[in-house]
Amino acid sequence: MSVASSPVRSRTGLVRAVLGRAGGYLAVFAVALTITFLLPRALPGGPLRTLGGADVADLDPAVRAQVAAAYGLDQPLPVQFWRYLRDLARLDLGESFNGGRPVAEAIADALPWTLLLVGTSVLLTAAIGVALGVIAGLRRGRGKGNLLLAGVLLLDAAPAFWVGMLAILFFGVHLGALPTFGATTVGHTGLAAVGDVATHLVLPVGVLVVAGIGQFFLVTRFSVASALHAPHVEHAHARGIPHRRVVARHLLRPALLPVHTQLMIELGWLVGGALVVETVFAYPGLGRLTFDAIQGRDYPTMQATFLTLVVTVLVMNALADLTYPLLDPRTRTRGAA
Amino acid sequence: MRAGLLAGRIGAVLLTALAVGAVAGPWLLSTDGRERLAAPYAPPSADRWLGADDLGRDLFAQLVIGARGSLGIALLVALAATTIAALVGGLAGLAPPWAAGIVMRVVDLVLALPFLPLLILAAAFLGPTLGVRAAVVAALVWAGPARLIRAGVLAAWSRGHLQAARAMGASAWYLLLRHASPVVAPLLVPVFVRAAMTAIVLDASLAFLGLGDPTSPSWGTMIHWASVRGAMLTDAWLWWALPPGLAIVLTVTALALVGVATEDRLNPTLRQAR
Amino acid sequence: MLTITDLTITYPNGHQATRDVNLTIAPGEILALAGETGSGKSTIAKALLGLLPPGSTATGLARLDELDLTGRSPRDWEGIRGSRIGVVPQGAMTGLNPVRRISDQLIESVRVHTHAARRPAAARALDLLRQVRLPANTADVFPHQLSGGQRQRVAIALALAGDPQLLVADEPTTGLDLVTQNHILDLLAELRTSQQVGMLLISHDLPALRGIADRVAVMYSGTLVESGPAAEPAHHPYTRALLAAMPSLRPDVPWVSIPGAVPDRSTSGGGCAFADRCPWAAESCHLQRPLPVPVKSAVVACHHPSDDRQLAFPTAATPGRQAVDKIDAEARPVVRLGGVGHVYRSRHRRTTALAGLDLQVHAGQIVGVVGESGSGKSTLGQILLGLLRPTTGRVEVAGADLTRLRGRQLRGVRHRLGFVAQDPYGALHPAMTVADLVAEPLRIAGTPRHLHPARISRALDRAGLPTDLTGKRPDQLSGGQRQRVAIARALAGEPVLLIADEATSMLDVSTRAGIATTLRHLADGIGLAVLFITHDLGEAVQNCDQIVVLHEGVPVQQGSPGEVIARPNPGYPADLVAAARRHAGPSAVPSG
Ligand SMILES: Nc1ncnc2c1ncn2[C@@H]1O[C@H](COP(=O)(O)OP(=O)(O)OP(=O)(O)O)[C@@H](O)[C@H]1O
Ligand code: SF4
Ligand SMILES: [Mg+2]
Repeated sequence: MSVASSPVRSRTGLVRAVLGRAGGYLAVFAVALTITFLLPRALPGGPLRTLGGADVADLDPAVRAQVAAAYGLDQPLPVQFWRYLRDLARLDLGESFNGGRPVAEAIADALPWTLLLVGTSVLLTAAIGVALGVIAGLRRGRGKGNLLLAGVLLLDAAPAFWVGMLAILFFGVHLGALPTFGATTVGHTGLAAVGDVATHLVLPVGVLVVAGIGQFFLVTRFSVASALHAPHVEHAHARGIPHRRVVARHLLRPALLPVHTQLMIELGWLVGGALVVETVFAYPGLGRLTFDAIQGRDYPTMQATFLTLVVTVLVMNALADLTYPLLDPRTRTRGAA
Repeated sequence: MRAGLLAGRIGAVLLTALAVGAVAGPWLLSTDGRERLAAPYAPPSADRWLGADDLGRDLFAQLVIGARGSLGIALLVALAATTIAALVGGLAGLAPPWAAGIVMRVVDLVLALPFLPLLILAAAFLGPTLGVRAAVVAALVWAGPARLIRAGVLAAWSRGHLQAARAMGASAWYLLLRHASPVVAPLLVPVFVRAAMTAIVLDASLAFLGLGDPTSPSWGTMIHWASVRGAMLTDAWLWWALPPGLAIVLTVTALALVGVATEDRLNPTLRQAR
Repeated sequence: MLTITDLTITYPNGHQATRDVNLTIAPGEILALAGETGSGKSTIAKALLGLLPPGSTATGLARLDELDLTGRSPRDWEGIRGSRIGVVPQGAMTGLNPVRRISDQLIESVRVHTHAARRPAAARALDLLRQVRLPANTADVFPHQLSGGQRQRVAIALALAGDPQLLVADEPTTGLDLVTQNHILDLLAELRTSQQVGMLLISHDLPALRGIADRVAVMYSGTLVESGPAAEPAHHPYTRALLAAMPSLRPDVPWVSIPGAVPDRSTSGGGCAFADRCPWAAESCHLQRPLPVPVKSAVVACHHPSDDRQLAFPTAATPGRQAVDKIDAEARPVVRLGGVGHVYRSRHRRTTALAGLDLQVHAGQIVGVVGESGSGKSTLGQILLGLLRPTTGRVEVAGADLTRLRGRQLRGVRHRLGFVAQDPYGALHPAMTVADLVAEPLRIAGTPRHLHPARISRALDRAGLPTDLTGKRPDQLSGGQRQRVAIARALAGEPVLLIADEATSMLDVSTRAGIATTLRHLADGIGLAVLFITHDLGEAVQNCDQIVVLHEGVPVQQGSPGEVIARPNPGYPADLVAAARRHAGPSAVPSG
């Protein structure tokens, strides 16, 4: 009787699934686009408030109209929106209200630093958090596992900015060992420049790792501890597969699936979340750019940074969705049973 | 299991102590933390346990009073976020698929928003009052928990008593209140705890960036002033920047202990492993 | 080969799960171990594999040839598990790693147990697949791409990887459909001969095991009540009751239920554990524990063993003629389905769950819907409850056209229907009392409060429950009682139609006939229309007036039980009837 069915890899099905998801992302993107457009216009005072200096009310109406026209703010909203989209499509993000520098340029300068900072710290955070989480999960409820849990919770509870301040104090001021300011020092070339960038990364990355380890640790620990009694794990024991092998080959891979999702969520999140650390260490990334833009009521920059942040989160989410089937065959091919 | 219980108990005791301190503490103090009583940057002494700030104001008093601000926003946000999450997640778990789909897309959208920048934006433009901060943080943190609660309700369908009640012709409200609530209620503890943790840290970050409410002190604003007024350059950081940071660590750890303890108890596979 | 002597196992919580069990298995012999839930079957299997939870104690002896299996530390099982004793997991749940290919898992097992190099191990893996009658390309797929039966074959191949002398299979066919169950049992019987492995086959399905086993052992409440050759009639009243509690395909063989429930061991005294439920119990039975004694070629622990004495248990009423006559053909049927079909659509595929079903259920009639899992039975139930809108066809229930109604009106129709679900544990809210549970449909329908008490006690009475249970919560009830509470709840709203979706399948065999009898009384007594959904053809034959056989959503046969059994349509119905006949095993001892 039973003939093993060959796996059915339905191409069209996969394509449709991807398209369906892409549709969802596009919808979210469209909403985000609208929100970023409306945000400065909806806020009290509106974009004009800062344009004309301290107080718009004091401005000469003629000057005011002139300024508004210069920024296209005298047009009806739909026209403004259309222009906004058109410019966006050309990657023309406008000019900063503070100094008139093209916003696209500012973002292009800042984004790589943030990606470097966040990328490095998320990879490190994930590696350390997962390793510790696996240890604690396998020893759940026992002395060592509990100690580890308590330690990580304590670390995780410390706010990033505070840890950053303390880190500057110790490593920068007292030991003088590490740079605490910016991403580079001028005057380095070649390998020295790489080393320079790396030493500038140490403290901010360290702080982000300390602040971020908890999530990975908890997700991993919970998932591993639950998997300890999964039917296929218990059965592998019963079949006489040695304990270490059961853990390595049967328990961990399915148990670590949720961690992958967590990784991508964290990546997206941290791009905005790094703001505080970037401020503490005066790191020239996107977060700082955003913060300065808000502080300076710099609407074009604000819009652009917000949009970049949303897009980053969406891209990370999409990556998580698309790479997940590589790890979990159950979502890759459908059974023909 | 026993260790988890112990952790939960320690967390609960700590939280109670902090709450009592925050509520009763300010009455027991002889100063409101705004009077200039000592030399600027005065080190700790017998009557001023944590010395004084740059204006000679009592830092211990500020720490005690600051607890109100920090715990207050945590409580407000956690209550609001948990309520929204329970309602949205619970109903999304019971609603027909198309309706649930729309709700979950909204959740996705909120999750994709840049949290901290939005909070800063709101504080910068709408003013940093407690209400605004709490509302914005709550509006941002409900989404993740809503997803969790929906998953909980969906999982509960397999338990059967929801199915059975639906087969009897019960409405969605009836199902949520009588049948989904026992499933959802225990989930609310970790949700509440997590929202409170996020609120404390976010709010402290905001204050640190200088966007706190200058009229109501909190642990975050203390650290902000310590940083701005050069406490980090002298020994003053020891009694100015360190204690409020430690207070935050203590509170968040206590919350986390309670959260982990309940999460472990909720996981049926872990329970069976006992 | 395997010798178990006086094995007594106590769990860390002090619960004594088995007491003085004696068993042997010879090379190439199949021993079937049967008994109801909690009788200690799995405990014995776990003891043989060293898988009892830490802190359990085992006294007595278990030896596999020269090897002592008791008194080993948990770390001391290398070279035994998998190599000397193989294990086959429960049928429905998978013991396979979901994210690794079958070949990987087979090769791993081969290499762990034989220390072979990779290439010979791969060859051996293919060999193993052939032994379990799976094609070689099964090696390349993931477990989720296989059917339940195929997965179980892979699990058996894994168990054979280390060339064990003994195979322990705890419920190897549970959760599989009948035809597949028989195939798996055949495969095991075949491997026993070809590989000369001894097997311990554990199941609560005694008749099915008798077909392939050499010897049968039956446990009750932790003790072995009988063990003997499978081919010979049973002597212990409990064994005989278990056999008779399995519905057979012959309407003339009575389907019995065993009254009462397994006693709480801590309160039972020194007598026979079965005494409270035994029809032959004499005074001595309550005082003196029966010791195992040889009876013919069996060993029986009973003071009054007999293979021909009448059992005198309550039996399920076979559908009486008058029940069929009484149906008024003129009256409007309670359920009228015309061309009902449903297609589930997901992102990836369309699944036809139901197609072209025409069906009528009249008042006082029990209509059985028979099919394996996935055949569309539950979809039908959902459609009748208005929880699912069929993609095609007309659904008329209690005079209302369900396909047109929405929201409040639809819920209003549900108030006039009763639904009993499969799982008596989950379907009852754990925190409510019986009275609360039974009153729930009244609360939902907004029935005035003062009417509740009378309605509740009438419903309990009709469901066969004593009213003194009203204050109890579900966890204080036995499985059968819980299901009766579910029935009482379904009856509280005075429904015109009762839908029982696999209402007996999670119950112990000893209580199933009792539930079925209750449904029969309701149909006959108050003219309730009943839709009886089941995967067990025998149950439907014993209990229904009409049967619909569903296969992959298509109604492949409709008719009276007699017709379906005697003249099954070619194709699936014929296979099903043949499988059910075989499954029922050599016919039970006539019980008079
Ligand atoms: N880990 C445990 N700790 C305490 N008691 C247990 C444990 N496992 C099982 N028991 C109890 O031991 C008795 C025998 O259980 P066992 O699992 O052997 O029964 P079974 O015959 O296999 O039943 P089933 O047909 O449900 O599989 C039951 O009363 C059960 O509640
Ligand atoms: S010993 Fe007595 S009570 Fe027990 S089974 Fe035999 S006859 Fe029945
Ligand atoms: Mg068992």
